[in-house]
Amino acid sequence: MKSVKKLAGSALVLSTILAGPALAADEQTITTVVKVTGENWFIRMNEGVDAFNADKEAIDATQIGPAQADAAQQARIIEDLVAKGVSAIAVVPMDPSALEGVLRRAQGRGIKVIAHEGDSIVNADADIEAFDNAAFGTKINEGLAECMGGEGKWTTFVGSLGSLTHNQWVDAGAANAEAKYPGMELVAAKNESFNDANKAYEKAKEILRAYPDIKGFQGSSAIDVIGIGRAIEEAGRSDQTCVFGLGLPKDTGPYLETGAVDRIYFWDPKDAGYVMNVVSEKILNGEEITDGADLGVQGYNSVKVSQGPGKGIIIQGQAWVDVGKENYGEYPF
Amino acid sequence: MLPRADRQTVFLALINVIVLVTGALLAGANFIDSYNLQIMAAQVPELGLLALGVTLAMISGNGGIDLSGIALANLSGIVSFLVVRALVVPGDDPLLFSWTFAGVAIAVGLVGGLLNGIVIAFAGLTPLIATLGTQLLFTGVAVWLTNGSALSLGYIPPLDSFGNLPVLGVPLCFTLFVVVAALIAYVLRYTPFGVKLMLLGSNAKAAHYGGIPARRMIVITYTICGILASIAGVVIASRNLSVKWDYGSSYVLIAILIAVLGGVKPEGGYGKVLCVLLAATALQILSSLFNFLGISNFFRDLAWGVLLLALLASARVNFSIWLPSRQ
Repeated sequence: MKSVKKLAGSALVLSTILAGPALAADEQTITTVVKVTGENWFIRMNEGVDAFNADKEAIDATQIGPAQADAAQQARIIEDLVAKGVSAIAVVPMDPSALEGVLRRAQGRGIKVIAHEGDSIVNADADIEAFDNAAFGTKINEGLAECMGGEGKWTTFVGSLGSLTHNQWVDAGAANAEAKYPGMELVAAKNESFNDANKAYEKAKEILRAYPDIKGFQGSSAIDVIGIGRAIEEAGRSDQTCVFGLGLPKDTGPYLETGAVDRIYFWDPKDAGYVMNVVSEKILNGEEITDGADLGVQGYNSVKVSQGPGKGIIIQGQAWVDVGKENYGEYPF
Repeated sequence: MLPRADRQTVFLALINVIVLVTGALLAGANFIDSYNLQIMAAQVPELGLLALGVTLAMISGNGGIDLSGIALANLSGIVSFLVVRALVVPGDDPLLFSWTFAGVAIAVGLVGGLLNGIVIAFAGLTPLIATLGTQLLFTGVAVWLTNGSALSLGYIPPLDSFGNLPVLGVPLCFTLFVVVAALIAYVLRYTPFGVKLMLLGSNAKAAHYGGIPARRMIVITYTICGILASIAGVVIASRNLSVKWDYGSSYVLIAILIAVLGGVKPEGGYGKVLCVLLAATALQILSSLFNFLGISNFFRDLAWGVLLLALLASARVNFSIWLPSRQ
């Protein structure tokens, strides 16, 4: 039985090491549950959660997520948090419908639920969206129009025709161009890249062949601009074309450097992580969040509040960020 | 000195206790209050049922394994919901809906399992390749039926209760899991089928000369695996009230891990259901503990690996050298 004693002994030692933080747990705890750990996007989000944790003395804020992107594992983590009895759960749902049951039970036990990118969730106290999708599409298109000087042929890319947000962005972009820039001619709209940089590259090459005088590209999936940028670089047309769209600074950096991609748009997961915790705190304290409220985070200074599908509210910011060659290095993800 | 099999059971039971006690020490009383015990119990069946399927496949020998389990579980839920939705309106008679849902799901599981069995027994494919193929097939059909998106069942009280409600302190789905496990343990130990299966797994040639109908045995075994997977599918549907093709995509390997942790011989011919059950609960408690402590889920995978190696070693190393002799 010696080995058992050893095991019990090491367990005790381990417990004294780990019990330190656990003892101080007499405060509010907010746990942020992400889709998957170890991905750049959510590592950046963790920075926001950590920053909030450092700013607030009385609140213990942490982030957790499954090692694999699997809705089942995310649901299990939330169940365990409910059993643990945290004060609030902030979740970026992998698959909103798979979480409804466990979130309802969480609310049943008095835990506040805050979602991000999950405006279809019924069992949440609040959902946070970084921006209005139509406004985001218009914003990208405005940049593109300015670069194109308001005239010339341009086209749009979407991840797939089934991606709701992508279609909202390019539709808003097309509407903006049509209303304000009569010189801009939309050709071969909504090319599907299937979230694959190679497919975007092939499609962009086809378009460059079909329309040698094309001036503008508006991408939607984060890899669209990468594929388009590669095709344009190979064609040596970096200076004659404008490529605008959703993109991540680290991945798109090389193309921004060469000028193949001109400007990328995204929202900062660090801010999203921080603001989720701000909203959690306010809801825990019983504060009401009203239209035009200032959440104290850039892009969320005057939020739009609307009624969600359940009892909760949907909070919408204007939290887009756009970077070009000169400043993409400020965002390490 | 205990016989090897019993020693393993004791060792696994001990691990359960140690993890639970460690959890209580580290995470506080919350960890062993009735609510968390119920939550943990309710989380076991999905994986436990799949692990039982893998166990049966492994026992049958010839490199037996079932990789298609979770895919078939999801497909059962999806097909069943699509069919039953057309027949019964859940709002009118939720109880009838739930029973029909479970019935159709299990029928789908039976067909899927039968397909596995036939491909392995009659087409002579290695189980690894055959079930990899059917896994892709089941997944493909599920995606085709749903266009890749989740189907929400809506709030159906009897199903929700089955997935989450404790009766006499034990969640219903856990009770079902224990009953199913007991049934399989009984079949393996006390019925001619079980004895023949062990024989077949340990020495296929001898079993053949002994007059054991190998093909029929294989078909029946994989059919049972399919049924187990579909029961897991019902549990998944009832706990999430939605079905989707890629739910639990990480379960394939975890189910195999549980079976091996439970001492099932991957080369066939040996496996104890009780040990598999204890391995499933040990993994569950450990994984819940890590979530309680906010430890990275990557570390959990590491801990599972260490546990697996420790158990494999414990089967090889003779501890009696260090134990005081008890004649």
